[in-house]
Amino acid sequence: MEKKYGVEVSQKEAEEIKSTIRTAYTRLIAEYIDRMKKGWTNRPKVMDYFYEIADFKTREKELVEAKKEGKKVIGYTCISAPIELILAADAIPVRVSSGWYDPAKIGNRVVPVEVCPVVRSTIGVALFGLSPFLELSDALITPLTCDSMTKLSEIIGDYKPVWAICPPRFKSMNQSQTFWKEQLIKLKEEIESFTGVKITANRLKSAIKLTHRATRAFRRLQNLRKGRPVIMGRDAMLVNQTAMWDDLERWSMKAEELCAELERRAKENVWACSPNAPRVMITGTPIIWPDNWKLPNIIEEAKPQGVIVADELCSGDRFLYDPVGVDEGTMDDLLEAIAERYLLPSTCPCFTSEKGNEDRVNWLVNRVKEWNVGGVIYYVYRGCMLYAMEYMRIKKVLDQLNVPVYYLDTDYTREDVGQIKTRVEAFLEMLEARVEI
Amino acid sequence: MIVAGIDMGVQNIKVVILRDREVIARSIIPSGFEPRRAAKQAFEEALKEAKLSLKEIRHVTATGTGVEIAPYADSTISMIAADAKAGVFMYPSARTIIDVGAEESRVVVCDEKGTVLEFAINERCAAGSGAFLEAMARALEVKLEEMGALSLEAKGTVSINATCVIFGETDVVSLIHKREPKHEIARAIYDALADRITSIAHRVSIRPDVILVGGVAKDLGFTAALKRKLETEIFVPENPEYAGALGAALHALNKAGGK
Repeated sequence: MEKKYGVEVSQKEAEEIKSTIRTAYTRLIAEYIDRMKKGWTNRPKVMDYFYEIADFKTREKELVEAKKEGKKVIGYTCISAPIELILAADAIPVRVSSGWYDPAKIGNRVVPVEVCPVVRSTIGVALFGLSPFLELSDALITPLTCDSMTKLSEIIGDYKPVWAICPPRFKSMNQSQTFWKEQLIKLKEEIESFTGVKITANRLKSAIKLTHRATRAFRRLQNLRKGRPVIMGRDAMLVNQTAMWDDLERWSMKAEELCAELERRAKENVWACSPNAPRVMITGTPIIWPDNWKLPNIIEEAKPQGVIVADELCSGDRFLYDPVGVDEGTMDDLLEAIAERYLLPSTCPCFTSEKGNEDRVNWLVNRVKEWNVGGVIYYVYRGCMLYAMEYMRIKKVLDQLNVPVYYLDTDYTREDVGQIKTRVEAFLEMLEARVEI
Repeated sequence: MIVAGIDMGVQNIKVVILRDREVIARSIIPSGFEPRRAAKQAFEEALKEAKLSLKEIRHVTATGTGVEIAPYADSTISMIAADAKAGVFMYPSARTIIDVGAEESRVVVCDEKGTVLEFAINERCAAGSGAFLEAMARALEVKLEEMGALSLEAKGTVSINATCVIFGETDVVSLIHKREPKHEIARAIYDALADRITSIAHRVSIRPDVILVGGVAKDLGFTAALKRKLETEIFVPENPEYAGALGAALHALNKAGGK
């Protein structure tokens, strides 16, 4: 197939890059997991399970086995993709947007450096086959949310079959709902013909039951972060994120086990770090494991140490937070409910309304109050126009709540770790001083 | 009680020695290629001026970009907190401290005690810092010390790109080729830097009084441009380049128990 965008690469270069980058990343994952372990010495044993899943290799082997048995793997680039439709076709969903830094530079061969680094990096891993989950994906669902994701859908179509779905930018109009639902119906048909599995109402109900169970565990974990810290923030973020490639049933079971243990600890006053540590919320561009763990690492290894109690990230607290509204009814009811679930609660800045993106505002206000947030880090990497542009709107709201916010501008690079550390430490120092007053 | 603060800047290393709340010595040494050695030298000079020996210093606090390699440091403090402490000390009614250094610019909002309430920093770009002025002065072939006075003669007839040092330099060169007067180009350079600082300042809620510190604060051309752009009165305390070291010294005083 002739590539519309993709640059041709030589076999030799591909082999070289693949072996150097994969070796480097094996080391990096091991280092980051080790640092997380050192940062939470009295962690529950079940965390080892999530660290293992975070290492990708276990899951990679499982996916290879599943594919041998004829199962399909369906990747998605954005959480606006309804995973219930994948699960109902007996296929395996995995999120494929890339958190690796170095491949972003490779992505520059196809798109300019000003483009969102997640997209550049995803192009980079596609070009050289660097991401196990993207390689194992038989097809991709590519929601056309922001501009970068829209073009990524075309570019990545050079490597995998893609099914683009386009959420409307207005959520609340009647036509918006119909427009969106029509696309999900078409997507359902695509998945059916691709996998050869007919998605019946019963199959869809079982898939919804499965995500309901995951959502319950997911919410339970986030609720545990409302009180004094029983789990380090970056560990909670990692648990949240592993749900994007783990077997969802097994993940739910392990997450339930973790929550039960953490609830016990909360009763017995066993804290993961000082209960007086400044409580931070992150909002903004997605933070994707493993390479882009820069900010969580800095916050929780800083002096003074901060603890991340909540976030408003599509790679984090938002992923499984909202359940599909029904698990009974006709096929039409179910599809209607799925369409609502993947449109209405989204706080992504690609949406707008008369009042501005009020769903994001409401989410943040609720988090600040209920999670007792001391300060907000507004995290934006270069190239994400929508998040950058919404800053003043969000700052205004947070000012009214008297919650300090710090705008942190970065990129897919390790070079600014020192700089960011200085800034984050100053911010945490400031939060500490506010508590003392 | 005698304490010291050291500011490990990118371009210069500054030391301030305090006896209680009085500054008794200051020194400044270019950081050069061996900042640790330069830092020791800066200490020696300040100690000589104060007629003291190192062991008489009860506590040393370090700050600045090179804080990790600061010699003799008992504690450290962020540049943001140092600015706030020093700002209120130098100018008690200061609530917004703008610090324009060689590599970084900061805007810090604080309360009357020097507690930081809000801050913003220029992001990953040299166009919002003193390094920009140096590069532009080179392109204009004037001494940096003379560029400020030169710019005050101008009326503001031309402007340059402020988003990037490299593009800024291209603009300056093309203005030179168009035979625009040097003083007009000089003013455009200050306006460009002031624009950048203003956009950083607008990310926080600035409140009066606004003071300007850091090495660039001594540049008349820049202070004039910033007043124009921010549309507010701006005060420059004495010895503005020592703000970081002074803030660190004040922190040392707290640490050592002498309020």
